[in-house]
Amino acid sequence: MTALALTAAELRRVVRDRTFLFFIVLLPVLIILLIGVTISGNEAIRVGVVGERSTSLAGRLAQQLASELDAAPALTVESLTSRDAALGALRRGQVSAVVVVTDDLDGALRSGRSVSLPVLIPGAAQTSQAALAGISAAVAQHSAAVQAARFATGLGQRGFEENLTVAERLQAARAAAPLRLEVVDSTSNYLPMGFSYSAPTMLVLFVFVNALAGGGAIIQTRRYGIFSRALAAPTRPRDLVLGEALCYLALTVGQAILIVGIGSVLFGVSWGNPTAAAALVLVWAMVGTGAGMASGTMFRTPEQAGAIGPAIGIAFGMLGGCMWPLEIVPESVRALGHLTPHAWAVDAWVELLSRGGGLADIAGYLAILALYAVVLLVFASLRLRSSLVTS
Amino acid sequence: MGPVIAIALKDLRQRLRDRSALVLGFLAPLLVAWLISAAFGSVAAFHMNVALVDQDGGPVASGFGTFLRSPQLSELLTVSTATEAQARAKVEDGSLSAAFVIPKGFSAAVTSGGSMPLTVLGSVDASVAAQVARSLAGSYTAHIEAVRLSVATALDGGAPQARAAALAAAAADLQAPESVVPRAAGTRELSSVSYYAPAMGIFFMLFAIGFGARGFFLERTGGTMERLAAAPISPAAVMVGKSLATFVYGVASLGTVAAVTSLVFGAEWGPLPAVVALVLALGLTLVGLTSLVIAVARSERQAEGFASILTFGLVLLGGNFIFISAAPPMVRTLSLLTPNGWALRAFTDLAGGADWTAAVTPLLVILAFAAVTTTLAFALRRGVARP
Repeated sequence: MTALALTAAELRRVVRDRTFLFFIVLLPVLIILLIGVTISGNEAIRVGVVGERSTSLAGRLAQQLASELDAAPALTVESLTSRDAALGALRRGQVSAVVVVTDDLDGALRSGRSVSLPVLIPGAAQTSQAALAGISAAVAQHSAAVQAARFATGLGQRGFEENLTVAERLQAARAAAPLRLEVVDSTSNYLPMGFSYSAPTMLVLFVFVNALAGGGAIIQTRRYGIFSRALAAPTRPRDLVLGEALCYLALTVGQAILIVGIGSVLFGVSWGNPTAAAALVLVWAMVGTGAGMASGTMFRTPEQAGAIGPAIGIAFGMLGGCMWPLEIVPESVRALGHLTPHAWAVDAWVELLSRGGGLADIAGYLAILALYAVVLLVFASLRLRSSLVTS
Repeated sequence: MGPVIAIALKDLRQRLRDRSALVLGFLAPLLVAWLISAAFGSVAAFHMNVALVDQDGGPVASGFGTFLRSPQLSELLTVSTATEAQARAKVEDGSLSAAFVIPKGFSAAVTSGGSMPLTVLGSVDASVAAQVARSLAGSYTAHIEAVRLSVATALDGGAPQARAAALAAAAADLQAPESVVPRAAGTRELSSVSYYAPAMGIFFMLFAIGFGARGFFLERTGGTMERLAAAPISPAAVMVGKSLATFVYGVASLGTVAAVTSLVFGAEWGPLPAVVALVLALGLTLVGLTSLVIAVARSERQAEGFASILTFGLVLLGGNFIFISAAPPMVRTLSLLTPNGWALRAFTDLAGGADWTAAVTPLLVILAFAAVTTTLAFALRRGVARP
């Protein structure tokens, strides 16, 4: 009962702190939104299209070419208004290459001349070959219709415009060598893009970061003399330790449930098998509890916990795959990342969300995370208890 | 000038004694830059291992093999041959990025005006590679398509069916009217560490708003401000001294990140004078923002809260947490509402090979931001420099 009373008192104090509420409620939501929006359309190669001198593309053929590029599945196309804007977009990495649609494109193609479209690329050509391949395919598609229209017009049949319309219709209707893309596997080693990526990874990150930052509350409690006064009453140190642990568990579980709820309601995230997801959330909350209590016993001042805690949390998050998938980093960095509990938690979310796994499939991950939780909780409890007994 | 320097030095000494200021201002951004450099430092140019499954053995299929092995694709592709089963297994286990399956009878079908699909095998985890492979196949088959389309358009226009073979032969001799030529834009490719080094450097520098504002209220509670007010020092000198300390801390923090990440991790920050000007301007903005928080807050707790919300609001909006260039245009536009968003734009432009003039507009905007926040802070100077 004493432990519960202490838990309730601590929780009341924390919930009254509006800054802490900002970090626990608003910040995770904003970051999930921002990262989700940023990476949702990020899979295709980003290229730009710009007119040679004029700000808009002159002529039907130029506009058709831009549409052809836009429709290419390998590319995401951004219209740029000037050559300066194109260079800026290339420098900033907004696009990998920029197709310059020459002003005389329509005139040249109609009069039977050939046109070489400049494609601006940053650095050496080999680094932009993927973008060039995508652009070349779209241009070749456009070129085929123009070639057919010119060929038929050259035979004296109908005008160029009419032949072009027929060629486009025939092109859309049937291809000699239609391309079929077959995906050979159905399960991914990555989390799905968009909010299904940002919500689970930010759950892992924020439960841990906020627990570390929240370690300041233990230091504050000690500073206010609450522990000393409590110990003057017939309260055992272990009740105080239990009370603190329950307080952190309530906070970490609350933080996780909040992100799961907001992820589902606002961002339409599906969290996979409910039992397995609940088990993972609970075990991760216990890891956070251990980390928060350890933070409260290791830092000297609340300011240190509030400042250094998040820095450590962010670094662990980066190492553990919360900021980018560990599949894309070198093996040594991936191995280093798996020293943090974060990597195992993210692996478990991949199993649940991308491979449709259940409780049995993530049992190994849960066991490893439980081990982290036990080690942190035992370490922090012993330190807190010893500080209570000696203070 | 003496009291100003003395107050600034005292504040700086005090701040450097606080381990959290050292960690956040210097160690954390370097640690993050190291992590990013370790994670992405060895990422080479996009390269694909592909297999060609030639079940056809005809001229069109062998022409495709020659196209894939051509010198202009050598940096992009490593091509091997495989059976379909091998290719499927390797694409699934990730050892191949994609595979092309050319079915039996493909050459005969497409040269006789028929239709037969070419299959690209891809993996769910290599969707970009699969799309690039599809584009490569599309580029190759475009010529075949152009010939067929030319004949079909001519026949549709009234050419006799009997002339189809002659028309196909004539169309095959035509050159494609459109082609692409790569041109060096004179820009540099932006590396991850060149983006995230300034992004994280600015993020951690902004934490100084909290330290500065909190320190001010602590001193006021501790009575230091009262004693300073009693001394023959003008309130302005006290404020300038304290602002100078914040400015020096901010500049030292971001300057150290710039120097270490350039020298150790190979981050590109741009021409030195432009970088120095931007770092100094950001230092002034830090002073303006800190003064604003001090002017608005009534207590240490409030100052801490305002500073945290302001810091995270700015870095979220400004794009320090994400690669802003990959964000939708609206998010990119919103980032320019913040001084850190402008600073990041300048640093990425400079890292991308722009000359110093690219930093002029961002510099002016950042200075304007510093001026506006400082003026606003003075206008609101409720209790500032007064006990």
